[in-house]
Amino acid sequence: MVMRVFDVLGLCLLLALPAWPASAVAQEQEESCVTCHSVLGDESLSRPATELREDIHASKGFGCVACHGGDGRAVGPAAMDPARGYIGVPERGEIPDLCGRCHSDAQFMRRFNPSLRVDQVAEYSTSVHGSRLEESDDPRVATCVGCHPAHSIKPPSDPSSSVHPLNVAETCASCHADQEYMGAYGIRTNQYQSYTESVHWQMLSVEGDLSAPTCNDCHGNHGATPPGVSWVGNVCGQCHSVMGQLFAESFHSQVFTLLGSPGCATCHGNHGIKAAGEELLGLGEGAACAMCHTSSDGGGMVASEMRNLIDSLNEGFEAAGSILSRAENAGMEVAEARFNLNEATTDLVSARTAVHSFSVDAVREEVEAGLEVTSAAYAHGEDALGELKYRRLGLAVSVTIILGLILGLVLKIRHLEESQAARVDPGGTA
Amino acid sequence: MSGSAGGPGQSRRGFINWILGTSVGGLVLAVLYPVSRYLIPPEVAESTSVTVTLSLRPEDVAPNTGQIFQFGSRAGLLLRTPSGELKAFSAACTHLGCIVQYREDLGRVWCACHNGHFDLNGRNLEGPPPSPLESFVVNVRDDQIVVSRET
Repeated sequence: MVMRVFDVLGLCLLLALPAWPASAVAQEQEESCVTCHSVLGDESLSRPATELREDIHASKGFGCVACHGGDGRAVGPAAMDPARGYIGVPERGEIPDLCGRCHSDAQFMRRFNPSLRVDQVAEYSTSVHGSRLEESDDPRVATCVGCHPAHSIKPPSDPSSSVHPLNVAETCASCHADQEYMGAYGIRTNQYQSYTESVHWQMLSVEGDLSAPTCNDCHGNHGATPPGVSWVGNVCGQCHSVMGQLFAESFHSQVFTLLGSPGCATCHGNHGIKAAGEELLGLGEGAACAMCHTSSDGGGMVASEMRNLIDSLNEGFEAAGSILSRAENAGMEVAEARFNLNEATTDLVSARTAVHSFSVDAVREEVEAGLEVTSAAYAHGEDALGELKYRRLGLAVSVTIILGLILGLVLKIRHLEESQAARVDPGGTA
Repeated sequence: MSGSAGGPGQSRRGFINWILGTSVGGLVLAVLYPVSRYLIPPEVAESTSVTVTLSLRPEDVAPNTGQIFQFGSRAGLLLRTPSGELKAFSAACTHLGCIVQYREDLGRVWCACHNGHFDLNGRNLEGPPPSPLESFVVNVRDDQIVVSRET
């Protein structure tokens, strides 16, 4: 093994090039670091050189010396001369500032990606990760390379990137789902499992909606921190803005803050959030309201009333849809009624949204508008079925008449035949 | 069988002739009724799930306005962009199916249910809608607006 390393170094010396000063700028040709490290038998030394080929920095012309210093034009140990700026493997605590040398420099970054933000390091220092690194030099806490693996960094748009929306949760889970790793912090490790059962993950991974939230959309990415109790609603409200606004203006918002309950998450949960259905409303099994309210208090009565109103619209919508389907399946034209019934979908969704104001009147207003639409659609369906019945009756009458005509013709023909036979043989043959 | 007037044979023949006459009359009515219903336009419009000709002239749609139209059993949104181009989309929001509308103040398609925003190409920009609105093809033929599904 030692002989092999010396052979490689000897080869590198033969290929020696004039030593150029190290710099953190794009380099046009492959550095001697890659030439030597690629053929080293030690996998931990050769892997960085191999992985770097797919790293976005390499595609922009950055090599090893951009981060490790030294002189990539020199060959062998001379390339790793501290006098030439070689720092080797950066200390953990130095990594954010090392990346920030370029990534916090707006003028420099503009040359490669003008739209890329340059406040990642500043954000990182506000995160739980950054705080722990700064305050206690925590050896387990995530730094830049914890999420953007050194030597194989890819942009978020690359599906194989550790920070592509579909991979973010797994990247975070590599630490946060590890009980042993997280044991020292006394925090739960079931967030990833819960998240993969959530409607957000369903939308992201199954429905292919890459704008659906993953870890960093609620916690921030470089500034990752759990949302505070009093402002978690603002986080959810980024997407669910109408509900967020109604809730913020409601009495519940103040009460939840006083109680230390995390807004939206109190009723909907957080990582394992499910698609919200009617079962969350009211006092039945699984209802969020029932966690605090009973049928004897005002809040419980409001919850039950809102649930009853929405149930009535649901029933009206289903009944109208059902009768229109029956008419449609029987061949009747009900396109216009179905078109009008679309309005009820809007009213139903609006009524569900209005629940976040915790006002019965607001819910009733939407429900009554919807019931008007469903009643008209149901009446149209009944008319269509009545018309169908009328047509069937008409068909039965027509068939009866036709059958009667056939019967009459048969009898008439038979009578004519008998009359003809009587004329031919008036006396009979008997 | 007797052929004399008032006899049973005469009675049966009269009955059969009556049945025949009535049946032929009924048959004629049964043919004429559907023919007349065919010739008189029905009260309910014909289903138009692939192409619809709107009862609007192109000049009825002012720039930076939009309106809902019936596309079969679905709702469509016809709009004219501020630059004067006619566009049509499915009016069902891709989030939960609410009917979207054109917001003249924003110059965008907007869903009131959850504050979803779409641009003038139907692309989802803000809010919960997960995907763009289905777009329809708009053609102006002989001063009529014809909207069709994209094939």
